[in-house]
Amino acid sequence: MNNNYEMVVGLEVHAELNTSSKIYCSCKNAFGLEVNSQVCPICMGMPGTLPTLNEKVVEYAIKMGHALNCKINPVCKQDRKNYFYPDLPKAYQISQAEVPLCENGHLDIMVDGKTKTIGVTRIHIEEDAGKLLHDDSFAGSLVDLNRCGVPLIEIVSEPDIRSVAEAKAYLETIKSILQYINISDCKMQEGSIRCDVNVSVHKIGEPFGTRCEMKNVNSFSAAARGIEFEANRQIEILENGGIIEQETRRWDDAKGESILMRTKENANDYRYFPEPDLLTIVVDEEKIAALKAELPELPNAKLKRYVNDFGISQNDGTLIAESVEKAKLFDDAVAFKKGTPKGIIKWILGDISKYINETGKSLSEIPITAKRLAELVEIIESGKISNASGKIVFETMIAENKEVADIVAEKNLSQNSDAGELEALARDVLSQNEKSVSDYKGGKTNALGFLVGQCMKASKGQANPGMMRDIVIKLLSE
Amino acid sequence: MDIDIKYIAKLSRISINSNDEQKFRKNMQEIVDMVNGLPEINEELALDKNNAMILRDDIAETGKFSREELMKNAPEVQAGCLVVPKTVE
Amino acid sequence: MELYEKTASELSSMLKNKECSSVEITESVYNRIDKVESKVNSYITICKESAIEKAKEVDNAFAEGKELSPLAGIPIAVKDNISTKGIRTTCASKMLENYVPPFNATVVDKINSADMVITGKLNMDEFAMGSSTENSFFKKTCNPHDTSRVPGGSSGGSAASVASGEAIVSLGSDTGGSIRQPSSYCGVIGLKPTYSSVSRYGLVAFASSLDQIGPIARSVEDIAMLYSVICGRDKMDATSKVREYPDFKASLSPNIKGLRIGIPAEYYGEGIDDSVKSEVMNAVKEFEKNGAIVKNISLPSTEYAIKAYYIISSAEASSNLARFDGVKYGYRAENYENLIDMYEKTRSEGFGDEVKRRIMLGTFVLSSGYYDAYYKRAKLVQQKIKQEFNDTFNDVDIIITPTAPSKAFKIGENSDNPLKMYAADVCTVPVNIAGLPGLNIPCGYDNGMPIGLQIIGREFSEQTIFNAAYSYEKTVGNLCRIPSLD
Repeated sequence: MNNNYEMVVGLEVHAELNTSSKIYCSCKNAFGLEVNSQVCPICMGMPGTLPTLNEKVVEYAIKMGHALNCKINPVCKQDRKNYFYPDLPKAYQISQAEVPLCENGHLDIMVDGKTKTIGVTRIHIEEDAGKLLHDDSFAGSLVDLNRCGVPLIEIVSEPDIRSVAEAKAYLETIKSILQYINISDCKMQEGSIRCDVNVSVHKIGEPFGTRCEMKNVNSFSAAARGIEFEANRQIEILENGGIIEQETRRWDDAKGESILMRTKENANDYRYFPEPDLLTIVVDEEKIAALKAELPELPNAKLKRYVNDFGISQNDGTLIAESVEKAKLFDDAVAFKKGTPKGIIKWILGDISKYINETGKSLSEIPITAKRLAELVEIIESGKISNASGKIVFETMIAENKEVADIVAEKNLSQNSDAGELEALARDVLSQNEKSVSDYKGGKTNALGFLVGQCMKASKGQANPGMMRDIVIKLLSE
Repeated sequence: MDIDIKYIAKLSRISINSNDEQKFRKNMQEIVDMVNGLPEINEELALDKNNAMILRDDIAETGKFSREELMKNAPEVQAGCLVVPKTVE
Repeated sequence: MELYEKTASELSSMLKNKECSSVEITESVYNRIDKVESKVNSYITICKESAIEKAKEVDNAFAEGKELSPLAGIPIAVKDNISTKGIRTTCASKMLENYVPPFNATVVDKINSADMVITGKLNMDEFAMGSSTENSFFKKTCNPHDTSRVPGGSSGGSAASVASGEAIVSLGSDTGGSIRQPSSYCGVIGLKPTYSSVSRYGLVAFASSLDQIGPIARSVEDIAMLYSVICGRDKMDATSKVREYPDFKASLSPNIKGLRIGIPAEYYGEGIDDSVKSEVMNAVKEFEKNGAIVKNISLPSTEYAIKAYYIISSAEASSNLARFDGVKYGYRAENYENLIDMYEKTRSEGFGDEVKRRIMLGTFVLSSGYYDAYYKRAKLVQQKIKQEFNDTFNDVDIIITPTAPSKAFKIGENSDNPLKMYAADVCTVPVNIAGLPGLNIPCGYDNGMPIGLQIIGREFSEQTIFNAAYSYEKTVGNLCRIPSLD
């Protein structure tokens, strides 16, 4: 991007909530089932049907509001957003316009080791639309209404984001929080989080430019690409003496470009008005407070604790804290007080993450429990087994689902760290290798490696290599 | 006030032909003139917190309606889906 | 006297005493339908087979000595905007000509549970928009007292069927007067209940914040009985209130000593026929004789009610009727070029003119730049009208007004003039705007055509209203007479 310019980005994140039933009817909230199998007269918009609001949706949205430091409105309402489209059976979406459930919040994100605060304008509840299926072999489009009425929260940020990296960090943090408070599955490939992006650019020091909205951004990486593209598109227009028109564009991730959807003149006239089929949503203060108390420790707080209490680096801490599963494994393992936090983190970010990435499994699916991990780190750190043996234990644990102690015993991996025994063994080896001993004493220090190696061999690999080396050096200097 | 009857018809997804346009324009004008003249009231629309809504428990119910039952009124169905003219984004 | 001429409460006693069977009653009603339906045109769909079936079931249950509800075995006809599972529900629109709901409206479940016998679905103005039932796609219903005149609307079929003996009782719906005004024109009793007391689930919405389903009958007892069946909280309707309701019939009392009746000047002014005013005021004297206290009152915001009504109801209608797009159910145009063309042709061909007018008016008042001047202002006026009624009910217990400005007009008389048509609702609309209960009772005739008065009460004061009407009914005798229609 041209260095004379700065981008200004605001994000609208839509997250599907993982409730059991839909937002306005009792149909199952499920993904991937047979077309039009999770539908009833209500979400199909049949004449005479009425919506009833799912209590969990309100609770989940309030939790997210707390997590993003929002003001929770104890009294709010819902509105209709009117437009015609085949995936919207009532021809209006029930949403919240004037008074959202949560507003005026903020979220700290971490970019390049620095904290930045992004304002959260509002969080409101609304219903998802259905899906249109297109097939080239067929002249029309097919409508599947299963997703109609799946509950959504829309999280709208202030235009506080100034770079692609900030946008990514913001989105990752939002996703991580949604997972921590367990209100969304956050499955990108199932479309359970989507976002709309507002981008403008301006020369540094000059007023903000005209913004364009970009829709259909279906993944965080697409958001990054889309923002980059859109900022460059706008800069190019300005550099060529053009002006930016306020418009809505559609991101085509496959082509890597945004396409004009409609100009401001053709902006949709949604004719919002209060939803007359629903009364006021009133949440009492005790309930609002109780929902706050239910929040778990959130990623930002965890990171702070990891850095301050355990001396873990910002980077490692972030990698652990932004994943609910990793953070849980880490916290639980640390709680056994059997291995250092740093040692535990090394394993989680190292072999464990590698294994998970390679296999696509989740932490809960593999037989590495917090207790086993803590024990493994402890016996390595105490020298009971070597690092190399540690890897064997880890692999065996995954393959055979066995306890650490059993694997060590079975495979005879325990290290000899008995100083007396090791010294006797070393004396023996040295006495049989007098030439090397005199070489060492004559200044050929590389003879040390050979001697230690011979000692290790004599111990059948079970001697603690660090101790062995120290002992050999000691004997050689006698 | 002049009503942009074509714009309103478009927004309503109703097409009116030129004969009807005259008639609707006249009717609409009369109706809008009738509803004009509401007094201005300097108050805000209050949210009625004494009229709180009872929320529904989050319990999923399945199998109350078959797809066939729900689709039997549809003008065109294929492969369990409603059919519409091709949509282009 | 034929069975169809009797009231539901009379027939209920006869059934209990085994003086007649439900099948006999039902057949009597169908005989009447056979005889006069060609003149009255109340019904869109007649369900004789299922009705006789149900009547037999009830008779068997009675024969087995089962304890059934007071209205078990009594025929009822239902307005065709109330969803009936397996029976087409057309809203008198081409749009829904062949639409068969896969579910029942809550009120239909309730009348089924009460073992009432559904005789058929009744004609109405398309999507309940109108005051004469001339806006039906299918047919024009005629006023049984003079078949050259309209029955009123939009529940014209509901009122005409009860008035002509084609139904013992019926259900209508009322958004701006659609139960009370046709009841007035046809000389029957009709209740628009307190908003939120009867579930709207399954009532095809016209204006959600104003619509209520209510009973039409030929005696106050019948109204009380049927209202008891249909009222109550429904978890499917978020706007329905949790509340204990009395047994309205058992609680009926003709004693109205000390009842304070308000007579609002605004409802007796210009635009109201003198014959109407004098019949209503004569009736008020009867209430006074029975011990009521009559007070002159003023409801100054009344003149704005009709404006606010057309803005709010049309706004909601424009949104509620957007779902009729030829995709999921109902009519779809035959030839179209693309999606938008399909939408536009479907809606232009499927809806009648009045419906289109209201949709466009509603779209206009909600559209960008006009919301504040129209919709928001109308809602503020609504707030004020409600407040005015509430304040008034500190001083009076009920309010009595004419139900309609005149007797039933001639078919075709107002068809080309929407504004004149809208004026027929001037007395009833404020009651919907304020969410209050209102009851029409017949109170006299003008050259053989019935005239009605409207009793308005506080929220949930249906019992008070029924008692006032009951006292009047006791004084003057039968309020409704069935014309012979020979």
